[in-house]
Amino acid sequence: MTRPILLMFLVLLLIAAGLGFYAYHLKSRVTSEEQRLAQQSQVILPPASGPTALVTFYIASDAASSLRRSQENVALPQERSERARAILRALFNKYAQTPSPHPIGAGSDVRDIFLLGSDTAVVDTNAGFAGSHPSGVLVEELTIASIVSTLNANDPQISRVKILVDGKERDTLAGHADLRRFYFSNGIGQLLKEPR
Amino acid sequence: MRVSHRWAVSIAAILVVIMLCGVAGRWLRSSTVHAQSPQGSQLSVFSAQTSYPAPLINLNGQPYVGLVEVLEPLGSVDARLDGKKYKLKFTAPGARELELQFHDGKDKGKIKGDNIKLEGMFAIQNGRGYVPLSSIADVLSRTLATQIRLNAGARRLFIGNIGNRFILELRRGIPSKLFVSFDSPVNPTIATEPGHIRFTFRREPVLPLVDHLVYTDPLITGATFSEHDGVGELDITGTSALMANFADGGKTIIVSGAPPPPPAVVQQAPVPPQPAPAQIVPPQPKPPAGPRFLVLIDPAHGGSEIGAAISPTLPEKDVVLALARRVQHELSNRGISAGLLRNSDIAISLDQRAISANAVRPALYIAIHAANSGRGVHVFTSLLDPETLTSRDFLPWESAQSAYLDLSGSVAGSIAAELETRKLPNASLTAPLRPMNNIAGPAVAIEIASPSENVADISDAAYQEQVAQAIAAGVAAVRSKIPEVRP
Repeated sequence: MTRPILLMFLVLLLIAAGLGFYAYHLKSRVTSEEQRLAQQSQVILPPASGPTALVTFYIASDAASSLRRSQENVALPQERSERARAILRALFNKYAQTPSPHPIGAGSDVRDIFLLGSDTAVVDTNAGFAGSHPSGVLVEELTIASIVSTLNANDPQISRVKILVDGKERDTLAGHADLRRFYFSNGIGQLLKEPR
Repeated sequence: MRVSHRWAVSIAAILVVIMLCGVAGRWLRSSTVHAQSPQGSQLSVFSAQTSYPAPLINLNGQPYVGLVEVLEPLGSVDARLDGKKYKLKFTAPGARELELQFHDGKDKGKIKGDNIKLEGMFAIQNGRGYVPLSSIADVLSRTLATQIRLNAGARRLFIGNIGNRFILELRRGIPSKLFVSFDSPVNPTIATEPGHIRFTFRREPVLPLVDHLVYTDPLITGATFSEHDGVGELDITGTSALMANFADGGKTIIVSGAPPPPPAVVQQAPVPPQPAPAQIVPPQPKPPAGPRFLVLIDPAHGGSEIGAAISPTLPEKDVVLALARRVQHELSNRGISAGLLRNSDIAISLDQRAISANAVRPALYIAIHAANSGRGVHVFTSLLDPETLTSRDFLPWESAQSAYLDLSGSVAGSIAAELETRKLPNASLTAPLRPMNNIAGPAVAIEIASPSENVADISDAAYQEQVAQAIAAGVAAVRSKIPEVRP
């Protein structure tokens, strides 16, 4: 074998090795990207701007299978639906912390809240809320009861709540709790440990 | 010559590069795609107690079957994954617990401490253990200590000395009739086409004494039995259209010539009415079935819809199916008929569950769920808003349960009392649970959680047995209050 041919063969071998390395690199990048996305979904939600107000939360507890009342000052916008959204984002923020009394899906967020008439709120959650919410009859009911009770406690006119996911109606939250229906604040109070 | 030699070497080198790229691409692909589920491929398993399908998956071009899927209908199963080690504890009814051990990617394992060599590598997919289909007979014969017959090509597996055998008897005459006599009643699917009548046996372990028969008869010319895709098929051929009648309580099928089609009516030349053939007997109206007390148990989820991940290797769908079977058994022990809405790993939509349950008209519907948080047992009735409460005259789909909330509450209270008696942690609640709201009859849902800090204890046989007994005892205690229903 002449020297140029040997050289060419070595070059091609190097190219092959390079391609193999590139393939390995691509695979690693996909893995790290998946990990990065998983971590990214756990970011803490930014607080709303505006003057602070005392907000009542009904915090779900998986251990106690109930809701407990707590109060905290939260920065809230003036507009009614924006206020409701800020309150729910603060509620989700509590569940995202570690340790959490009631872990919900990582990256859960409220995209928007639409107020219909004076008594109905339609809560549009993001896909991550339902997509990664723990599955179970009680655990899903606790989340819904927490949302409905917290909204009603801070805006007593809101007595009917409907939950959407990514702008669409969905059968269940995570396989159990019905999301096709409206929830009434006076119908879901059985889980409250402390009265409103 | 020197130039052409150089070109030849260059081309060879390029081919090497292409091959390497191909290998790299294949490696990349194999790192992401492990298993394919053959479309609709499943193994039909027949045992003395039951018959059921077990899904097959395709791994490296070889069919594999899940150990849990095959063993669970035959007894109590507790499967655990420890790294790459897979341990499965199996207890047949009335027998002692035994252990199966395998290792992901290895073809050797242990059953009851004895070595076994599989005809392929043991595989773990999504936390579930799979053995090559060709090895399942060996695995089962050692596990169950009984005779196993596997027709791998036909996807049929027979456990024990079972088989509904049949004999064929051609009774010549005008016209001839073929009598197919079985050991026990059968209910095949029947398809006809000119010169053929085909019986497909899906649930019955039908086996022939002879596979193929040829007759020298003017009407019936032959019969062939074949097995494929998990079913047994008997194909009877004839010289004209054939029809079938059942006799002897479904144990005999009589194949005969189909009557010729009625002649076309010519209006200009009306045919005088013919007397009805003597052998045609007008069908007797069946007496209406009496009311009965049936409990329908609905193990939630199934198939690709796994429910909650109790642990990385224990999906809710498996826990609830095992508990549902125990509840069914305990109800039977108390003289209460009970059926399962699903008895295998299949997906059923929420609406379809409600439709099926309402069509069956059970006296009581029990949904079974499992959770990976909390402790003990939650007993739920439907959470319906006061304004949706309606009379029984008209039941809206979304709130069909509203008319039965009182009865459902009685059942829930009785079950909770039985749980309390057995000192099992419990809570009675209402829940916005689908499809319970759509059930037109008394309905409760049970959500079982682990009795301890260890979530895997949820599938502890003794714990599940206690829960199942409490549920059955609770139902039995209020049976007299729940009206029987006419099917």
